[in-house]
Amino acid sequence: MKRSHEPVFWSLFGAGGMLSALTGCALVFVTGIGVPLLLLSPGLMRYQTMQTFIEAWPGKLVVFVVIVLFLWHATLRILLLLHDFGLASGILSRIIGNGLALLCTLITAYLLLSAGF
Amino acid sequence: MNTADDGRRPYLRPMRGWWKHNPYFLRYLAMEATSILIALYALILLFGLWRLHQGEAAYAAWLAMLQSPWSLALHAVLLPVFAFHSYSWFKIMPKTLPAIYWRGSKLEQAVITRAGIVAALVTNLAIVLVLVGLPS
Repeated sequence: MKRSHEPVFWSLFGAGGMLSALTGCALVFVTGIGVPLLLLSPGLMRYQTMQTFIEAWPGKLVVFVVIVLFLWHATLRILLLLHDFGLASGILSRIIGNGLALLCTLITAYLLLSAGF
Repeated sequence: MNTADDGRRPYLRPMRGWWKHNPYFLRYLAMEATSILIALYALILLFGLWRLHQGEAAYAAWLAMLQSPWSLALHAVLLPVFAFHSYSWFKIMPKTLPAIYWRGSKLEQAVITRAGIVAALVTNLAIVLVLVGLPS
């Protein structure tokens, strides 16, 4: 039997789903509400703070994992939605969907690595 | 498949409006639809990372964008959507796990769900509290 590549996508889906379930609310609150409305210190997201954060490996890892896993999680479900409504269910939609997620993964990696160390 | 040159005309159950036929389907769709907003949030963060890469002025513009009423309204929607995602994630988790046995009896689904929700509350609160406590 030919080995399936499905487990890769489902693992990324599961990891992203778990991470967003455990941290999503806090992240949305901090980046989208708390800091913009000054409920939290604006220093948390100041340019220098963020730059320093992503120059170290732990910071790079955190940002990478959040963006990339959230996206892979969402991609699988969006593909399921398109399938469920009969809008796009072929191999082409999966290539485009997963391709876009892969592209975003590479862009995220590039931006984080180019931030220096 | 039923094609034009196929003499047979097999019955194909119509699927139109399938999601309206059962409230369970609607809940399933609500759960799946959270993914669109989760993707959107990830893209907002990725955009911020790109603006950070471009430099201080570009990053300041991204921060200003986060303060716009549109962004605040969007995040006010994102917050309950993520909360619903957390809830539904742990609601389906026991159904996706192999059976867990604890002291000779099968662990009930509700126990796993509740444990997951408690874990989510703890991690989310911890993140916010740690960030509040950071010297800045």
